Amino acid sequence: MTKIIVNATHKGGEGKTTNSIMLAEYCALVKKYKTLIIDMDPQANFSGRYIQMEYDPAYRGGKIPAIHPDYESNVDSEWDGRSSIANIFYGEEVVPYPTSIPNLELLPAHSHKLQEAEAVTKNEVLEKVHLQLKRFLELPDVRDSYDIIIIDTPPSKGPLTIAAVKAASHIVIPAQMEQFSIEGIYGMLQLWKQESYYRTKNNPIDLIGILPNQVRDIKLHKQFLEGLKMMKGVSDYVMPRVIKKRAIYTEILVEDANPKSIFELPPHNVARLEYESACQYIMERVFSHGKEKSISNQ
Amino acid sequence: MAKKKVFQISNALTEGLEETVSAAHNYSGELRVEAISLKKIELDPENPRDMALTFEDLTQGIDKADPDYQRKIEERTSLQTLANSVREQGIINPIMVYKQGDKYRLIAGERRTLASILAGKTEVQAKILDSKPDELKISLLQWMENVERKDLSLWERLMNLEKILSSYATHKKVTLQDITPTDIGRLLGCSLPHAMNFTAVLQADATLKSHIRVNKIKNLEKAALIAGIQSDDVKQSAIEACMEGATLKKLKSISTQDKAKKTLAVSPALPITRGRQMTLVNLGTTKKIPVARLIIDSVLQHEKVTHLRKHFSDLNWADYKAINHAFKQLLLTLEKLEV
Repeated sequence: MTKIIVNATHKGGEGKTTNSIMLAEYCALVKKYKTLIIDMDPQANFSGRYIQMEYDPAYRGGKIPAIHPDYESNVDSEWDGRSSIANIFYGEEVVPYPTSIPNLELLPAHSHKLQEAEAVTKNEVLEKVHLQLKRFLELPDVRDSYDIIIIDTPPSKGPLTIAAVKAASHIVIPAQMEQFSIEGIYGMLQLWKQESYYRTKNNPIDLIGILPNQVRDIKLHKQFLEGLKMMKGVSDYVMPRVIKKRAIYTEILVEDANPKSIFELPPHNVARLEYESACQYIMERVFSHGKEKSISNQ
Repeated sequence: MAKKKVFQISNALTEGLEETVSAAHNYSGELRVEAISLKKIELDPENPRDMALTFEDLTQGIDKADPDYQRKIEERTSLQTLANSVREQGIINPIMVYKQGDKYRLIAGERRTLASILAGKTEVQAKILDSKPDELKISLLQWMENVERKDLSLWERLMNLEKILSSYATHKKVTLQDITPTDIGRLLGCSLPHAMNFTAVLQADATLKSHIRVNKIKNLEKAALIAGIQSDDVKQSAIEACMEGATLKKLKSISTQDKAKKTLAVSPALPITRGRQMTLVNLGTTKKIPVARLIIDSVLQHEKVTHLRKHFSDLNWADYKAINHAFKQLLLTLEKLEV
């Protein structure tokens, strides 16, 4: 079955998008999985890395995906040529965009439409938003087309993040080892707990864990990481991998970066090895779900 | 010198994180509450029922030829109050079911389900478990469900507990006698004294139990107190007093008669003592020197200690310290003399 990983934490700047990028490129470039990436964040940074995003003429500062390469204005009379994941909330068709990376397809964000979905408060509509992504990703058409789906979420605990969590089979919580970040972890664990109450045995939500991110060689980071590892139960969810703070992780995001992906760096590059090891850990957990548990229970 | 920096995640945050993970583990998939169709709910045939009334009786009417006709009519009448409140407010606690094929089997909430049907509802809120929980879990869930219920008699609670304990014994491969009050406390999530009361009443003799069964004795603490009485006639009078509505305090005073009786029978010489056994006599203290002098002078009258008198002739009777010292010496000497 197609696995769905969501990178989530409601605190901003923890590395959700970076981590989504790394995982997506690892899956497509290194593992050659048929990968779909979904951008639920109205900021649309994740989308912008893979396709041309345009400024929304109607809402200043907002972004909309460029015209789809397959769009033909004389044939598609019903379609304006743009497609985003937000369409699912409007009962409109979604058409994934190809990217320059083989095996990697994208359902981009649409700032204004996503913001509207995020702002929903009326109960009946809210429930629809919460379940819409899950329903969409359960469609046989979607399931049959991809091995893995990676979702990037906005820095909030709102309807969009909840929708992503409800659709997910696995959660990764990237977090810095700092005060506000740990509080962010708490909030996300609440969301995971709440969702796990509702899941059946055949359809569990598996918390892969907290990925310590942007870790520096300072006492605060070391002691907070140790602190997390000392906590009863929580220690099982601190990933045994750490992403250090390195300039290369942000340099690689620049538009004309060369190479464009961490996984195109020489195989022995320290940064590549570090992120590859984290991605490998995550993917092993994702695809050995169930097996891992029975081993640790013995 | 600068203070050494130590960074610690706060206790509150640590606690919150730990509790969240633990709750997610323990209740994963168990707290799904959904509204399910009443038509899809069925009783668990393996679970003994207290009620005769069935779902069909409510939807199709009770058949007059039914041997339980009268009983069912009464049960239906007794459900009416609950049905009225369900009609107005719905149920407060969801019922609990597990999935069995395309139906839901009831674990707890028979009365609420029946009342919902009676209230003309088509759906009921239910906690849905994925699969049938084991025997022990079912009985524990039923216990937790029932603990809040006021109309459950002491006897019904005891019978429930017995069921839990025997499943627990099978589960743990121990005998019923091996289950301690501590185990019970942990199982039910109740305090140790409460658990001890249950243990006492479960082990009570047939007479006391028969009174509990017919609901003449309703209070756990009182029943436990009576169960602890050894002598038959004291116990009998306690039972009678209890049925006449004696307070716990009154029953306690009856049970102390039993204790007094018991101690008399064993050894009349030994006083009832609390705490560690006394092995010494404290002669007390006084501020009044004349009193001390009277005691000492009286002791010195004893023929066996006449030789000590000379030591006291030059005692300074105004000096507390000197008197204390002299008295201690006197005691020591007396102990050696074995008077």
